[in-house]
Amino acid sequence: MTYTKGLAVGLMTSLLASTAFAEDIKVGFIGSLSSDTGLSTLRGAEIAIEELNAAGGILGQQITMVSADTGEDVTEGVKAYEYLAETEEVDFIISGSIDDVSLGWLPRMQEFQIPTLDTWTSYIGIIDMVAEDPELMAPYFMNIASDEALATLYINFGADVLKAKMGFDSVVIVAEDTAFGQAITGLVTEALAPVAGIEVKDTIIYDIGTVDFAPIFSKAQSSGADFIYQVSSVNSQVISSQYVKLQVPMAMTGVNVSALGMEYWEDTGGAGGGISTLSPIPSVGFPLDPVSQGFVDTYQAKYTSRPVLPHFNGFNAYHGLKQAMAAAEEAGGFDDVKAWNAAMLKQDLRLEKDGKLWLRYGFWQHGEIEEVTQRTYPQNARFDLTAPYDDAQPSMVVVQWKEDGTVGVVYPFEYASTEFELPSWVK
Amino acid sequence: MTQILIQGLLLSGLYALIAMGFMLIFSIGRTLNLAYGAYLMVGGYVYFWLSQQLGLPKIVGIGGAVLVGVLMGLLKHRLIVKTLKGDHVAVEISTLILAVVLQAGVVLVFGDSSKILLPIVPGVVTVAGAQVTYNILVATIISWVVILALYAFVRGTHTGRAMQAVSMDPKGAAISGIDPDRINLITWGISGALGALGGVFFASYTQLYPSMWVAPLIISVAVVIVGGIGSILGTLIVAHIVGFLEVIIVSVWAPELRGVFTMLLIIGVLVMRPQGLFGREETH
Repeated sequence: MTYTKGLAVGLMTSLLASTAFAEDIKVGFIGSLSSDTGLSTLRGAEIAIEELNAAGGILGQQITMVSADTGEDVTEGVKAYEYLAETEEVDFIISGSIDDVSLGWLPRMQEFQIPTLDTWTSYIGIIDMVAEDPELMAPYFMNIASDEALATLYINFGADVLKAKMGFDSVVIVAEDTAFGQAITGLVTEALAPVAGIEVKDTIIYDIGTVDFAPIFSKAQSSGADFIYQVSSVNSQVISSQYVKLQVPMAMTGVNVSALGMEYWEDTGGAGGGISTLSPIPSVGFPLDPVSQGFVDTYQAKYTSRPVLPHFNGFNAYHGLKQAMAAAEEAGGFDDVKAWNAAMLKQDLRLEKDGKLWLRYGFWQHGEIEEVTQRTYPQNARFDLTAPYDDAQPSMVVVQWKEDGTVGVVYPFEYASTEFELPSWVK
Repeated sequence: MTQILIQGLLLSGLYALIAMGFMLIFSIGRTLNLAYGAYLMVGGYVYFWLSQQLGLPKIVGIGGAVLVGVLMGLLKHRLIVKTLKGDHVAVEISTLILAVVLQAGVVLVFGDSSKILLPIVPGVVTVAGAQVTYNILVATIISWVVILALYAFVRGTHTGRAMQAVSMDPKGAAISGIDPDRINLITWGISGALGALGGVFFASYTQLYPSMWVAPLIISVAVVIVGGIGSILGTLIVAHIVGFLEVIIVSVWAPELRGVFTMLLIIGVLVMRPQGLFGREETH
């Protein structure tokens, strides 16, 4: 009898426990747990969840989070998404994946129809998929400006600074062999000559495992171009540190993801001065509004390991997760994807600094045409490509690491904290 | 063209230094030491820890790296090679596993993010339009000095000649009064030292990262297979073939094809001349 009673109590307890657990809103994180990029998203989401739970949760439920590591590998990324969907049965997924990994798990998202927010991937092809098939892509939102918007404003940097100020007429592109590299290279190649008047002399594609850039820099020099445009999102500290070590006598700018974190100086052993890169916002060296600064203060009080300052996607995760939960509250949860999508599209967080609109976390609507590029960006983060940037923040800024280890924003001029300079060894 | 010549010479010198220790073990111990790349990795990290993190003089960092390399070689021989008593497959599998374990150890201690080593000898000189760092120049000079010293050691000392004898016929060497076990132990120690030294320069030329042992291992395997067993000269020549091949492919063709032709070269030599371009015919 005692055994039967015990069993019944145990069963009841288990049932109650599982019911209580099932009532929690479960968030899945997908990304690399060992990269600064992945950790930025993970930690931004963790802080947002803590704050939401402290305020009573969403729809009367607490929020929990589980993680799935992609290791920045496409196959592992697909497995990770399947794990979150099938084993953990999460309600919502927040992603800190790189472009290739997101492209890998995207078919799984279409299959499982789980609301998903990408905070790092900027591949314009995904936004095109949203425009072409809004129903299938209803669960997907990208709250970083897509690479088309990043490249467009970078072209302005080319015209305003590289051409007008530095007098550069030609460029050689040195790009990694990834989806991100191909997308940025294509966009820059198409626009630099007609818009900025800078001729693309050559394009050099390299494998992401490359550890010796000396012959590549020699090839770039022999192209006769005035400067190098690098596109590097993986192992970026290698190309930049070798550029400095070899003192390549050409200017180099472009995209260097390793330079987006405060650890860049340490990671390059101090051999990273002179490197400039476009960066989504907020970047290193970018002044913050009070709300975002509050997030950073909480972050730095909570985490002591790298990255000491969250990358831009950490901010995207922090604000974006709160917006996703607010949308779920309006839609009665995440199950009705269409309702959640409609509520998510209405999210619009405007953050001011010194009385000026500083950051805006909103989304482009379906059919809404961006005036500079004359195209649509449905479910993509809202951005502004025209000074004085009073509709939203610019899609990117250009930051430059100086040879003394400091870093600042050099473009757009409205956000600049320092001037663009050539490294001391470049004549 | 001059740039290709200069960069080819510099890279080849580094490759020769890296491959020399691997060639010694393969020639004398008849073992494919698949943990050889780990000597380079550990050597690079020891140097980083001593000279860059603790701020000790660079020479102390290099000395520490070489010392740890020697210890690793000696321990590996005593604990794995000797214990497995000439079972080459078991030794190769064990050394491969050991490399993976060492990689995990490095991740545990230093984390898995890449580290950039400051140049051991800072500075750059422009030669015929090519940027040449003093670092790679010194690595190449040291490489040549080490290779010449090794050549003189093998040809001119009693231990060196004993190494040659064991390499050719271990049983015959034993009958002549040579202790093959002792010679093997010395060889593993020298190999560890050469690997660690190569690792310091390789890492300062490229970067430090936990899986960095794979690339030098592939280079070493390529050089030794193509060069053949027991030939210091062959190792030197093939290191230059591989180095120049890589620089030419990157400079005039496609950087993403850099390692492909090295692999094709290995396959070609294995098919056409299994003993390698400069190796001796094995009689057993």
